[in-house]
Parts: sequence; structure tokens; C-alpha cells
Amino acid sequence: MSILTGPMNHHLEGHKDLTKHENVLKTIDPDKVYIPLMNGNAPCKPLVSIGDEVKVGTKIAERNDHFYLPVFSPVSGTVTGTEKFMTSSMSQAEHLVITNDHKHEKVRAFEPFDYEKAEWQEVLDFVKNAGMLGLGGAGFPTYVKYLNPQNVELFIVNAVECEPYLTADYKNIEENIDLLKTGTLALFKLSKAAKGCVAIKEDKTEQIAALQKTFAGTPIEIRTVPDLYPMGWERTLVYQLTKKRYDKLPIEAGCILNNASTAIALGNAIENGMPITHKYVTVSGDALNHPQNVLVPVGTKASEIIDAVGGYKEGTEDVLLIAGGPMMGKTIPNDKFVIAAPNNGLTVLINRPKDEVKCLRCGRCTETCPSGLQPVRIQMSNAIFDEEELMKLSLMDCIECGMCTWICPSKIDVTENVRRAKNFVRTRMASRAKEAKK
Amino acid sequence: MKFSYKPSPNYRNTQTTTGIMLDLSMCLVAIVIFSAIYYGVAYGPALGLRVILMTLVSLAASFGTEALYFKMRGYDVKKEVMHSYGWVTGLILTLITRLDVSYYALFIATAVAIIIGKLVFGGFGQNIFNPAAFGEALIMNSFSASKAASVTADVFSGATPMAAVNSQGWMLSGSALGNLIDGFGGFGGLLLGSYPSVIGGSCALLILLCGAFLLWRKDIDWHLSVTYLITIFCLSLVVGLIKGAGFNYAVFNVISGGVLFGTVFMMTDPVTTPITIPGRMVFAVGCAALTLILRWKSNLPDGVLFSILLMNMVTPAIDKLVDGNQIKNQVQIRRKVIITSAVVLLAAFGVGMTLDPVEASAKPAPSADTQTDTSEPAGMALEDFSANNVACRVWSNTDTAALVYHCQAKGYEGTNEATITLNKDEGTVTSIEVTAFKDTAGVGDKATAAEELARYEGATINSSIDATSGATFTSSSLRAMAAKALNMAAGN
Repeated sequence: MSILTGPMNHHLEGHKDLTKHENVLKTIDPDKVYIPLMNGNAPCKPLVSIGDEVKVGTKIAERNDHFYLPVFSPVSGTVTGTEKFMTSSMSQAEHLVITNDHKHEKVRAFEPFDYEKAEWQEVLDFVKNAGMLGLGGAGFPTYVKYLNPQNVELFIVNAVECEPYLTADYKNIEENIDLLKTGTLALFKLSKAAKGCVAIKEDKTEQIAALQKTFAGTPIEIRTVPDLYPMGWERTLVYQLTKKRYDKLPIEAGCILNNASTAIALGNAIENGMPITHKYVTVSGDALNHPQNVLVPVGTKASEIIDAVGGYKEGTEDVLLIAGGPMMGKTIPNDKFVIAAPNNGLTVLINRPKDEVKCLRCGRCTETCPSGLQPVRIQMSNAIFDEEELMKLSLMDCIECGMCTWICPSKIDVTENVRRAKNFVRTRMASRAKEAKK
Repeated sequence: MKFSYKPSPNYRNTQTTTGIMLDLSMCLVAIVIFSAIYYGVAYGPALGLRVILMTLVSLAASFGTEALYFKMRGYDVKKEVMHSYGWVTGLILTLITRLDVSYYALFIATAVAIIIGKLVFGGFGQNIFNPAAFGEALIMNSFSASKAASVTADVFSGATPMAAVNSQGWMLSGSALGNLIDGFGGFGGLLLGSYPSVIGGSCALLILLCGAFLLWRKDIDWHLSVTYLITIFCLSLVVGLIKGAGFNYAVFNVISGGVLFGTVFMMTDPVTTPITIPGRMVFAVGCAALTLILRWKSNLPDGVLFSILLMNMVTPAIDKLVDGNQIKNQVQIRRKVIITSAVVLLAAFGVGMTLDPVEASAKPAPSADTQTDTSEPAGMALEDFSANNVACRVWSNTDTAALVYHCQAKGYEGTNEATITLNKDEGTVTSIEVTAFKDTAGVGDKATAAEELARYEGATINSSIDATSGATFTSSSLRAMAAKALNMAAGN
């Protein structure tokens, strides 16, 4: 931040008190779970066939292209088929259907593991085979980040959780702080970093004290960051902690980051030998009777979760059902999608009409853009299909954090317009590549 | 349950464009009310009322024009008018207009500003020029004769600070500037705005207060205004110090004229200014340089209005100049801002260096003869004109030989006014011209006949001029004015 750029972040009203102090509902045990056979944009190959018996922790699928990622069963029961429907990222995907026998029989997916004594390579293999993936939302296989850690100065566990409404990480840390310690130390070893830290928002004072107590005597520091959005984004967080910027990957600034939930999942795998089977999910929003966090098996349908927490408020007829928080989560036009491993929230908001007026070029979107873009200029250039200007405005650096729409006083869907501009440029590039091939 | 789709994010700030415009309107109305009270108290309730009426005329023109336009285009009139914010243009235009502009001129200017200045470009958000500045430029250029004469006579008989400094070529020596500022009640007077000017332009303190309020509400961006004020201050300080006008010159440049009003209410209009902060800073520096260049070299009373209009034209170019990723291209963008600003500032500095400071009403170099003459006060120098309540103000001091004063003094019924030209070197009256005659017609005007006035020509402070018989009081006011002017020229 300098005098020539804006603050590039903003405080958002978090609405986190809706769920922060509520108990986590852990009784949801759906009759059927639907495991998406998809990681990012890559399909996963099922390893079981219809009629097979599975237990909690049975490996049922794997991704095996340039990355490796195993998928484990979250329930015990029978594989009864596959179904294709919309995922929480709004793409169509095959889902493996497992009928739950409610017996909760477990198989130990991995043998007990002592990461302190193990060689570095062994830890890496463990993380790879345990199917660890970025639980902050990206779902990126965790081990990939650690393949070649060189000159890493700072290892960061991201417990910022800057998305409004979401408290899933907060509750997860609250209940599993020892697993967080194990997972963090294992990842810290893997990163070969000089220093390590857990980054958390400064307003979560109780949790900061608990973390400081837990991590006392370890090389891991607790670093607090201001309550701003998007403080949890890699670039913003790395800049906040190190004052360094990077071009593509945080490793260029000497940093490796992982989400706190990921560290807890790894802690669970190390201590209990269990993979990611359940997820803490915040179910919140002004259209619900009882917003609260739930702990559900991966593959539970959104409709079942909403029914379990008490359903919609009386008189609500038209809602926005958002997979994730309201800033970056996508609105899904049905409630049939399932919670996949990277999901951590369901936000249900009453659909209110908005009063959009013309852009007054106030430039607030450029001042708050964490990527340093000019969304309003992108919007204008897109309106006249000026591809050259769009590239000059480096629109591909946009991460769709939603800040420009949030700040816009004219209530324009700025982020959506930038998204369209990105699609336009992508389409143009693809058609040119096609031409070149001919 | 209906699951609607809306693209993410589905979370929004509470600030709205309409809210911003309402805050702005509130501040503008506060200034209208202040002006109404000021003119009402200082010049009589009729003129206070005139402020209100002018505001209403302009508002009627802006609402009427927009309603008619949207009706003809077949839009939902009420919704479009509320989202076009034409009334802000009306309010600002009223406040940058002088009180003596006719209702008719203001009405036409507002309507044209709304149509040609805004609607034909595509309405709110699309216009190139600040509509209010556009309207005021129209009034200045096309309606300079359409004035309410009585208001001109009542309120604008004396020079405004702008006109007074402009008549001196915007560059005075320290002491001359001091005299001029004292003539308007010192810096305190300038801050409180206790002098006639454009309707909303005088009370610097109130404008600053509004600016602070708008900043606190996050309705305007500080970068532009602060850069503008700092640039005006620093540039005029440097030029002022080199030319011997002193520190006061910089302060005067900032708090007088349209600088504060322009920067709080007009340059912060986001529609016509660049989008990014670096762009706004270039815009502010350009505006500041142009304001000073226009003050120094143009024959306009003030440069703020046209500096805004000129910079509005280059806004798209500035936007292009600083386009790109604000983080990755930070170094290039900073370099562009610095180079552009430096070039603009150097140009303005160069213009400033060509100025010649006008000395404080130069005392005539006394020759041997006149010394003996002036050693013994005689004639008018001995008379007591205190009953005439006389006041004079330097009107023009550009000519090396002539020194022009605008004076007023009480006659029989009212206060007469005259423009008196003196010969600087000789310390004599060259001519006297009555600009306002307020005494009894057919009686007092005997004294203002051409042949009577001719008797003043060549008079010094020690001359005795007999009163015109039958018009003693009027003569007395004329002689009081002549004596006062001669005394001031002599530095007494």
C-alpha cells in the first residue's frame, strides 16, 4: 500500500456472532452420501463398483493425472451407483452414491505415524497418501506445495477466515486445537521453513490466547492480522505478514501457506489414522431459523443439512442458497448439491431486490481491489470488446473476491462484469489458438 | 422454496450513490442557507430572499428539464429523475453564480447545462464536463449583460477580492497585498466570507466544514482535494516568495475565490475526474497549475472554473496514462505521475516568473517644488470629511502613470460613488467620474455636471475646491472622495 494505491481491503460486517457461540450439530447422518468424483477440474477414477461394501476410511476413488489424490468413504454401507448433478462449483459431475448402513464401522486408513522421527520424504508421502487437500476452498492437493521447498522463510497456517458468516474454521480449531498443533508441526517440518506462524484475526481474542497456550514451546508463533477482507487470501496475507509481493506462487516470496482445517485434518490422519471424512460447515444467513455449525459426512446434501438445523424462516419464499460465504461462494439455484471436502459453508440469504443505478466512476472498486486492478475500467473496456485494453488492465489477475461488487455504491454487479470480461478474453484466446493450429 | 440465482458476491456495502448525492445536497443546502442569511443581514432581506429564489429557479430548471427529457424519451420519469441527480447540478450552479445574475440567465444556463452538459452524453455517469461548471461558463460568456442592475449596484459596487487582485495582475508586493487583505477584514474576514462574491463561494470555513463532513461520510476522496490545495499553496508560495509577495500570498490564493468550493464540490465529482488515485493526483496538479496560470495571465476574475473544465477534457487521457495493474506496475505509474506533475508544475512556475509585482500604491517621488507645497497642509488637507463616511479601494494599479480608486461617500440622502483616476507621479486628480448618484435628482446633480467635475482635474491634496452652489452636500461627498483618494495615494 502506498499513497498512490487505495487500502486494497476493507472491513466487512462479519455476522459471525450468529454461529460463533452456537454448539456444533453433529447428529446428521444421511441415508445416502454422494461423493463428487471431481477434484478441481480433473475427474477422479472410482476404485469400487456397485454393490461393494465400504467402511468409513475405505479408499473409494483417486485422482491420478499429474497430481495424485485419494478419496475415502465417509460412511459405512454399500455403493449403490453413480449420479450426475450440479456440484457446489456449478459444474456437472459424477457422484458416487453410497447408501449408509448407519453402523459407522471404521477401517484404519493408515498406520500410526510418528512425523517427528520420520524422514522428510516419508512425511511427504504420508500427506500425499492421506488425501490431504486445501480445505479453505480450493481443494488443491496439499503435498504438491511441498514437493520442492527451497529458501522458505515463513510457513503460514491460515486461520484468518475472512469470509463473512463463516465460523467453521473457528469451531474446528476450538474443538481440535491439539490436532491443529500436530498437523501444523508436521507441515512445518515438511516446509523446511525458518519460521512458522499461525495467522488469525486480531478480534478472535479467546482463540488467540488458546493458540498461544497450545503452541507455547514450539517454533510456531501466533501472528494476528487486522479484521479486513480479503485478509485470508494468500497474497494479502503474505503481504500483511512479510510486506512482500509475488508474481505467481507464494513460494517466490519465501512463504508456504495452508489452511488451518487442512492442518487439523492432517493432525487427525497422523494421530487417529483417519482421512478427511467429515467437514465442519457453517450454516448461516438471515433466511434460517437457527444458524449454526454442523459436522457432516462429506457428500451430504445441502437440503438435508438445512432441514437438520431447523429450516427456513417462516414466510421466506425466495432465497439465495450460497455454497460458501456470501463474498466468494456461488449461488446455487437448487438445494440438491452436496458438501464436498473443500466446502465450509452454506449461507442462505433472503433474496432482496436491489436498486441499481448508473456507474458514477467513483473508483472505489479500484481502491479496494486486493489485486490492484481497475474493475470499472475493465467493465468499460469489456462493454466495447477492447481486448488489447483488457490485457493492459491485466484482468486475468482477478480472483473474483467480490470486493468491487461489495463496495460499489451504485450496486452494480462489478465482479460479474469482470468475470464476463475474463470469459470473453479466454474465448478470444482459445479461438485464436484454434486458428493457429489450422 | 424458490432458489434464485444471482452472481456472487451477494453481500453489499450499505453506502449508496443516492446516499452520497443526498449528503452532498445537504451540504450545498447548508451553504445556500448561510448565504441567504449573510446577504439578508448585510444587504437587506430582499437580497436574502433572492438567494433562496435563485436556488429555487435553478432547481426548477434542473428538475423540469430532466423530467421533460425523460418523458420525451419514454422512460419512467420519477425513477430516472431521482437517479440522474440533476438537482446537485442546479445547487452547485446557483452557488457558483453571482447574486446579480438574472433569474432568466440562471434558468437557461441550468437547463442547457443539464441537457448539453449531461443528458446528451448519455446521462449521469457519462458526461465529460462538470455540468455545473459548464453552466457557469455559459453564464459568464453569454449572459454577462443579463444582470439585475439594482443588485449589482447594491452588492457589487465595490470590488470583490478576486476583482481587486485581478486588477493588480494577481501579483502584488507584500505590503500592497496586506492592504488589500485588510480591506476585506483580514484573513478572518476572508475565512468567514464577509464580502460579496459568488453566492456560495465566500465562507471558507463552512466549505471546509462540509468537506470534512463529506470525507467523514466517505462520500469524497481526499487525494484529489488535498493534492490540489497543497499544490496551489506550494506553487503560489514559491512564486510569491521569489516575487516578494510573501507567505500571505499563498494563503490568499488558497482561501480566496473558488478554490475551496471548487475542490470540495466540483473536483470531487467522480464522473468527470479520473478513476484511480494516481490519475486523480495528476488531475489535481493540473487543475492547480491551470488555476494559477489563469489567475495570473487570463482576464478572468478567477481560474478555478476553467481549470476544472480544461482538466475534464483530459480526464480520459489521464485514465489511460495510469492504466494497468496498480500493484505490478506501481513503479511505472509512480514515475508517470511524477514526470507529468513535474512538467505541469514547471510550466506553471515559468508563467509565474514572468509576473511583475505591483508595489504598494507608490508614493510620488517628491520634487523640490512640491516639497515646499506639501510642507504646509492647505485646502482639502485641512478639511474634515468625517461626516461623509468616505471609503476608497484601489481599483486598478496596472498602468505605470495612473492609479484608479473606487470610492464612496455619503452625500445628502444616500451614498454616492465615483471612480477617481490619479496621476501617480504628480499626485494630482486626472479625472473623476460619478458611477452612482444617490442624492436628490435636480438638486444634487448640479455638482455632478461635467463642467463641475472638470474643476477637480489637476487638484492636489492641498488644493481648495469650492462647493457647487445649491448642491453642497453632493459636492462635499465628491470632495471627500477626492481627498481620500489623494491621501491614500500619498500613503497617508
